[in-house]
Amino acid sequence: MSLKSYSRGRAVHVMLVYTGGCNGCDIEIVNCILSPKFDAEQYKVFLTWNPREADVLVVTGPVTKHNEQPLREIYNAIPEPKAVVAAGACALMGGVYKNCHGDIPSEEIAGPVDNIIPVDAKVPGCAVRPQDIVAGLVSALPLLLNAD
Amino acid sequence: MDDNKQNRTVIEAEIPMGPVHPAALEPYRLRLFVEDEIVRDAEMTVGVNHRGVERIMEGLPVEKANSLTEKICGICSNSHIWNSCRTAEIALGIEVPERANYIRIIMEELERLHSHLLYLAHGNEVLGHETFSMRLFYIRETVMDLLGMIGGNRVQYGSAVLGGVRPRCQLDEMRLQKIREGMDLIEEKVTAFADRFVSDPMIMSRITGVGVISSKDALRLACSGPTLRATGVAKDLRTDMPEYDPFEFDVITQDDGDVKSQLLMRVFENFEAIKIIRQAVRDLPEGPITNRSWEMQDTPITKSYIEVPRGTLYHSYALEDGRVRNCVIRTPSMANIGAMQYACIGHHITDAQLSVVQCDPCFTCTDRAIEIIKI
Repeated sequence: MSLKSYSRGRAVHVMLVYTGGCNGCDIEIVNCILSPKFDAEQYKVFLTWNPREADVLVVTGPVTKHNEQPLREIYNAIPEPKAVVAAGACALMGGVYKNCHGDIPSEEIAGPVDNIIPVDAKVPGCAVRPQDIVAGLVSALPLLLNAD
Repeated sequence: MDDNKQNRTVIEAEIPMGPVHPAALEPYRLRLFVEDEIVRDAEMTVGVNHRGVERIMEGLPVEKANSLTEKICGICSNSHIWNSCRTAEIALGIEVPERANYIRIIMEELERLHSHLLYLAHGNEVLGHETFSMRLFYIRETVMDLLGMIGGNRVQYGSAVLGGVRPRCQLDEMRLQKIREGMDLIEEKVTAFADRFVSDPMIMSRITGVGVISSKDALRLACSGPTLRATGVAKDLRTDMPEYDPFEFDVITQDDGDVKSQLLMRVFENFEAIKIIRQAVRDLPEGPITNRSWEMQDTPITKSYIEVPRGTLYHSYALEDGRVRNCVIRTPSMANIGAMQYACIGHHITDAQLSVVQCDPCFTCTDRAIEIIKI
């Protein structure tokens, strides 16, 4: 294990981006990191709101048109190596908002997160359970640790 | 040189925040116009996360539309599905069994507990006191477990269906016992938290006299819910709702209208919610939980107002062949936007975020406009 991957594994910073879901997933993610019951901080996983110090980007919600550009900019601002976790049914396949306008191209939803930025791990659920979020974050960790 | 010094004009600086900003959990745009670090004017724009649930509900069978309203908000999902069912029940004249009503009240008050505890946790995080925030998240877990036990899901746990509650939400003796134990635990922990919170001089000096809204202004800005009651106006829609007739509870008010009143308001409302849940568990009547003997018919636009954790929620729609038409939803955070802007004005720039958070914003609920405003 190189020094870089050792130090990266000791401080995984998670950034949460909210792109128009219902708030349920977001609170569960904050809950799973801050709440003493799940407490991801004991595994050296920290919540941050600054893309420049983030390692893992957690995206929730079907990306609305207004949020498409900010999401791209946030993704580009995160330094390499980075991992993207899409959490929740909306982020994975659009959820209940997918067929918002039927067959007509939607004016409001820019589609699931896959359409906009590459996704490394997917966490299903509506809303996601904290246990699943921890599992999803762990499954994305090799991307960070094995990068040189 | 001297001329320039005398004739200089103070340039009004603008500090824009958002739509994605580290200090704000949810996307919204806040423009602060500052002069010597004092906020002179504030402007809030919402609409970034408009998805158009009403548009999807249009033309759906009413049962499907009811369950879709749950997806409007992840914090107060039960109140949306309850009010949507209530609209159709008023329109079709469906009588809800008494036991179903009690179970709905228990779910709604549990939701009030978790929403207020989340508000307090978020407020303490914005204050900069992360220990209190973690403590409140820990207390909230008890409520989430109870909601998960009754509704089957930790977040989208809506209990109401047309004419009653889901069979999954039936309360047996084991569940009632767990609710009783949970209420005892929460009351003990929230009391301990409130004592420590009030006796902390650092926190009190940070929040006293910040973000003041007077009762006159709160009425003028048409605030609703705890935000209005914290300014001293005793207005609670629960006192007018027939569902709450069997229960005894007090309408809590605070006097000052600053952040301290808003935070303490939620602490005291938690005790009232615990009181209502205990009465409901004690007096839970026997009988069926769903009334299936009703007939679908066309109805004109029907309105329904209920009191939810953040204020007054409004749903209205007409029924045509069992399908929803002309759906309009108005959420309490929409009414409180004026208060959020107003509370920032006249205070230091560092208090602006706290002044917004004190009104308990929920922007997923709020983005209900039919026409999107260009930002």
